[in-house]
Amino acid sequence: MNQSDKGVFNVLAGDRSEKADLLHGIFREFGVNFASGVPCGVLRHIIKNFEDDAVVLHVIANRESEAVGLATGAYFCGKIPAVYMQNSGLFSASNDIASLLIPYRMPIFFVVSYRGCEGEDAVQHLTTGRATERLLESFGLPFEVFRNQNLRNLTRSLFETMYKVELPTFLLLKRGWHR
Amino acid sequence: MNRQEAIEVIMTTIDAQDVVVSTTGLISREIFEKFDSERNIYVPGSMGLASSIGLGLAMAQQTKRVVVIDGDASLLMNLGSIVTIGNRRPTNLLHVVLDNGVYASCSEERSMSKTAKLEVLAGEVGYQYVRTADGQGGLKRAIIEFRRGPGFILAKIELGGRRDFRRPLELAAIKDRFMLFMKQPTKGDPSS
Repeated sequence: MNQSDKGVFNVLAGDRSEKADLLHGIFREFGVNFASGVPCGVLRHIIKNFEDDAVVLHVIANRESEAVGLATGAYFCGKIPAVYMQNSGLFSASNDIASLLIPYRMPIFFVVSYRGCEGEDAVQHLTTGRATERLLESFGLPFEVFRNQNLRNLTRSLFETMYKVELPTFLLLKRGWHR
Repeated sequence: MNRQEAIEVIMTTIDAQDVVVSTTGLISREIFEKFDSERNIYVPGSMGLASSIGLGLAMAQQTKRVVVIDGDASLLMNLGSIVTIGNRRPTNLLHVVLDNGVYASCSEERSMSKTAKLEVLAGEVGYQYVRTADGQGGLKRAIIEFRRGPGFILAKIELGGRRDFRRPLELAAIKDRFMLFMKQPTKGDPSS
């Protein structure tokens, strides 16, 4: 990381999340060595862990669709990619998931922040919030919402499902998940 | 030069070990019918993503050269991709854009490539090799002279040509054979 990049994560100075570190450990256990996505504050600890890990080739994308394309290229070369985005961006990238990842049967792990849930204070998230789980259900894709279950077991089991069905698979994280 | 002639030049000029990622519509369908190979990836849906997939490939497998065959309208649909490519600067990526100024795979509705100055944009955002080509000779030369990328070739093409190509359908099988191809050592690469 060069000097100018460091400023990006100043907001995180000293702020760590045990849950995010645990999640990163599980990513490493499953061989994740490529990450791409569009930032979301809810995912900041996860993104910082990707950025700080020399084993992970991390490429920030301009739009969520781009991240889907980048992860696809990396997967074709034998890399194990993870993709991160907000659920608003999941809708932007939904056709790319439907028309690229599903017909090519790509087991790519997505971490998606889940805005528009109970307690949401931003009106622009309400419609996509209501529709997020139904979008994934209608695509027939595996997903789990983290509700303080055992994060390790939940994530491991999602990875195992992903490799069984060979489809993109989603872990949805609500605000405050990292505490 | 039309689409058929441009594709013939590209597919017969690039190295046998190069990887090809082709964009949505007639470009992928023509390549699939005439030049299908284990080294090809077709992007029949997710219009615009060919260059993003190509960048992912080029960064993840630096011993192989990646040739993206894009269209003007599909590049415009994911224009941020050239910014990412220019930022990451993979030396093994060659991005060829067949520019006919229209959405040819639809009903030839006009795109905005005429005012977009795509080759200027590519140079400004960080591509290291930029050429434009009008005819088959110029396109061939631009490909042969490419050494170090990211490279961008804007190939102006005319409308017309066949439209009745079959479609790539067995995408999972295309993925499997491509991934096997990517595992083979690249000839002449000292690290393989």
